[in-house]
Amino acid sequence: MTGTVSVRRQKIPKNNIRRRLLFFLLLAGLLMLAVTFAEQICPYDPNAQIFSTLEPPSAAHPAGTDRFGRDMLSRILVGLQTSVLSTLTLVAIITVVGTIIGVLCGHLGGMVDAFMMRVCDVCLAFPGLVFAMAIAALLHGGLQNAVIALAVISWPKYARIARSQTLALESTDYVAAARLAGDTSAQIIFRHILPNSAGPILVTAMLDIGTMMMELAGLSFLGLGAMPPTAELGNMMSGGRSMLQTYPWVIIGPGIAIFVAVVIFNLLGDTVRDYLDPRNSRRQSSANGKKEQEK
Amino acid sequence: MKHYVVRRLLQLIPILLIITFLSFGMMRLAGSDAVLQRMENTGMVVSQEVIDAARAELGLDKPFLTQYCAWLGNLLRGDMGTSYISGQEVFSTFISKLPATLLLTVVSILLTIVVSIPLGVLAAVKQNRLTDYVIRVASFLGNSMPNFFVALLLMYFFAIRLDWFPVISREVSLQNVILPALTLAIAMSAKYLRQVRATVLDELSKDYVAGAKARGVKFSVTLAKSVLRACLVTVITLLTLSIGSLLGGTAIVESIFMWDGVGKMAVDAINMRDYPMIQAYVMWMAIIYVCVNLITDLSYRVLDPRIRLGGAKS
Amino acid sequence: MKTEKRILTLLMAVCLALGALAGCSSNEEASDGGTAGTTFVLGDTTFNAENEEPDVNPHNAYSGWACIRYGIGETLFRYSDTMEIEPWLATEYELVDELTWRITLRDGVTFSSGRALDGQAVKECLEHLIEVHDRARGDLMIDTITADSQTVTITTTEPRPTLLNYLSDPYGCIIDMEVGITEDGIVVGTGPYIVTSLVTREELNLVKNENYWDGEPGFDNVTVLTISDGDTLTMALQSGEIDGAYGMPYASYPLFENEDYTFSSTATSRVFFVHMNFESEIIQDDAVRQAIAMGIDKERFVEDLLDGNGYPAMGVYPDNFSFGGDAVTAKGYDPDGAKAILEEAGWVDTDGDGIREKEGQTLTIRWLTYPSRQELPLLAESVQATLGEIGFEVIINSTADHNSIRVDPMAWDVYASAMVTAPTGDPSYFFSTHCLDSSAVNNGHYHSDELEALAAELDETFDTDRRAELAVEMQQIILDDNAFVFCSHLQMSMISQSDVTGLVAHPCDFYEITVDLRPAE
Repeated sequence: MTGTVSVRRQKIPKNNIRRRLLFFLLLAGLLMLAVTFAEQICPYDPNAQIFSTLEPPSAAHPAGTDRFGRDMLSRILVGLQTSVLSTLTLVAIITVVGTIIGVLCGHLGGMVDAFMMRVCDVCLAFPGLVFAMAIAALLHGGLQNAVIALAVISWPKYARIARSQTLALESTDYVAAARLAGDTSAQIIFRHILPNSAGPILVTAMLDIGTMMMELAGLSFLGLGAMPPTAELGNMMSGGRSMLQTYPWVIIGPGIAIFVAVVIFNLLGDTVRDYLDPRNSRRQSSANGKKEQEK
Repeated sequence: MKHYVVRRLLQLIPILLIITFLSFGMMRLAGSDAVLQRMENTGMVVSQEVIDAARAELGLDKPFLTQYCAWLGNLLRGDMGTSYISGQEVFSTFISKLPATLLLTVVSILLTIVVSIPLGVLAAVKQNRLTDYVIRVASFLGNSMPNFFVALLLMYFFAIRLDWFPVISREVSLQNVILPALTLAIAMSAKYLRQVRATVLDELSKDYVAGAKARGVKFSVTLAKSVLRACLVTVITLLTLSIGSLLGGTAIVESIFMWDGVGKMAVDAINMRDYPMIQAYVMWMAIIYVCVNLITDLSYRVLDPRIRLGGAKS
Repeated sequence: MKTEKRILTLLMAVCLALGALAGCSSNEEASDGGTAGTTFVLGDTTFNAENEEPDVNPHNAYSGWACIRYGIGETLFRYSDTMEIEPWLATEYELVDELTWRITLRDGVTFSSGRALDGQAVKECLEHLIEVHDRARGDLMIDTITADSQTVTITTTEPRPTLLNYLSDPYGCIIDMEVGITEDGIVVGTGPYIVTSLVTREELNLVKNENYWDGEPGFDNVTVLTISDGDTLTMALQSGEIDGAYGMPYASYPLFENEDYTFSSTATSRVFFVHMNFESEIIQDDAVRQAIAMGIDKERFVEDLLDGNGYPAMGVYPDNFSFGGDAVTAKGYDPDGAKAILEEAGWVDTDGDGIREKEGQTLTIRWLTYPSRQELPLLAESVQATLGEIGFEVIINSTADHNSIRVDPMAWDVYASAMVTAPTGDPSYFFSTHCLDSSAVNNGHYHSDELEALAAELDETFDTDRRAELAVEMQQIILDDNAFVFCSHLQMSMISQSDVTGLVAHPCDFYEITVDLRPAE
């Protein structure tokens, strides 16, 4: 009975994956649409402090109001915009930079590898908070600089993952065969290593979306991050921390928004991964897949 | 092999020098100092003379390089200095925080492994079926909840509603470590589980699995012998990162559970610009990362002898 | 399927193991309460080195606060509920001349070491204090101390009208210097409780002082726990693990507003206020400063953002000071009035974007503040909205880096901070630290000739009533100049379980655990 599983998996029709991909793309599209037009679709001005404060959810305010008397739903929508855009930028930067460095280190080995890995050690070991403080003092506050600070601290994680994937792949028979067949480094990297290590890296990246949203908020303590009155989901959650027992909607609303964003991006990421998987699409042209990835 | 290990450990020296210098420099860039931070915390303004006297006492009035060299000189004589804030010896303060951090690291890693590997494999085997979706959505939940939120929820339910644990649990014991470890394990499991699932899926689609099936090898045997082995590389890479950051402490969880580890100490030291304390922490982190990475690289080698260690190409 | 079952079994085993461990724990807990007598456990957020209270040694930083708060040490004089000086370990004083004070000590007071409190003991203690404590030396300006049985004669280097106030500061706790100060910072005082053990930023254990001079302390044991996280403090009080709490987050108050808990609240001299930067061109405009002062909705800040746990401020000092509260007048929240003033001064919104302009300059102010006091960013955000309606554009910079920014006069227009304005109950402190040319934190470079003159007079005035008059005049000057705007005084609350009485908040914030603290009948 258990044996059927692997067989079944091979039978997954490409159509099925494509259907799922379309579905999740649609969801992600809707999310991005909501994010893009957040200001237009939110029911009230997200910064207007005009309602009575800390009102529980009601028909007029489906997510309640915050301590300033602002409509929570409007703030969550606008906050989603701030958070999703900055987090996507951040995750994209660290994934690309980390992967390039990691793959090169794993592939080239030797001095380059040793040196870059020690740089990684230094970056990972260096307390992010100290670095963020220095950034805050040098470049001053703001969301952009928070993204910069986090990017500099976070890329080594991806470099490590990409490097270990590369090391494992380098030792496989097919890479050995490719090398014997005279493939250049570039060919090996682009044909074998990148496609095969994309899965774990993509999964890490998608998972990091939720974490990074909170980390961006964590830096607001230093003055890095969104400055008032800009709504930002992580800030809204940590700012409402003490109200968990007394006014829970202040913290749960933004929490649900983060959760929804995380679920959509992760399921999309998984599906893209399935779709790109060379073993699922040997006979398909990979052109489609590449387009999706670019999005 | 021995040569390799020794060489890697020797690299620790330049790393320590660079990293301590960097942190010293960056704290300088970050502005403010221990004297001003104390003034801010107490909300009490003291006269400029008192400020200057306090700075002179800590050596903060000297140029940056002089301060760094003085610190380095003392370090070479085995003296890590005293905290600007508590006035206690840095080394002994630091050592006193280690047991808590070590216990929390070990327990939360164990919990994570016990939860994430079985669930990750299960999700992969049941790919795109209900079980898979339930496990994945649960992992997203674990992933999108901030640490403090999980910690407060656990504390609320287990300490107040169920009364199983006390709220205040400062004693370092196996019983007290459970809630903080669980908090950390929930977030980490979410990550591990997803990585394990991805890796197992990769492996399951490889030809040898179908080959084994064709040869009549039981699926559970293939799973246990080959697929799980392949997961290990992924899990070990993740562990490298997690163990490093766990040993560096987790300030929020530590402060909510009053777990007296290095994380809260470090954050307080940084916020208060307590340079000697920060330096000790930075050195600790550098040592951890170098050692953990060394062990990881060695274990890759053990798991897969074809992986080369540094040196020339195989 | 088999694997699935195995995995499930494994998971269940883990859960069971957790449950079992938890089970053990609750059993152990039950047998733990075996210590003799009654115990009071106080959870406190501030007893740690970050607040300069690493131990209970009054001669070290601000540790005197812990010494006096937890009933270990006592000072020669103390503050009444209206912040006036009253005798404590001393019974009376005599001002012999402008430089000489003769203080008579109370009879029958002993240190918990058994030594009687006499002039010699006080002399030893104060001499050590001014030798090691920079701040105390600067405050007290003591020249000589002479002891004669139960009297102490102190001479100062300059006329020091506020000597008694400074002696009432927590660093003035009288400790037995014969026993000395242990390496952990433990001292022997005259208070109702005696230290048995101290672990910095963790806990302080105290036992009853059987020979206390002023009645019998209510509990046999007192434990002070440092709980730096506000939410943990909340849950510890909910679960009954602590009997009293200091530093509870306001958002948790509703959980305790019932008959199971007792609140004690008072206004303190910690005030949220803004400094105007007189180096900034736009702030130099009188109309702009006035409009800002009239555009801050203090009532709303207190009501909505402090959840009512504060008092809208008029001037520098709260209501419970004789020269505080309504003794001065300040402009209230008046958006229409502010608009009219700006209009008159030529600030008009010509391009219809909601922000006023004048001669090509937009009405934009940079609001500098810091997040380590969580109410400050809230104040900024609230002001941003109310000033926005008047036609200001407020750019907030809330950063941990504020200490280096505020010294650069080009980098900010308005700086909001939270500071204690009268730690010794005396008016001179705020002016000498914030408003004069010689002040340490006069970062906005405010200057008023009149104020300088009054400050010089204040320094030489011994008469308390005259000092109070001067304090009122001086406050009125800075308010009329709109050099500072005072938004709210912080309310300090202590919450205790209802089976405890006597945990009372005091306006000076020095007295927490006293002889009156006891189990409720």
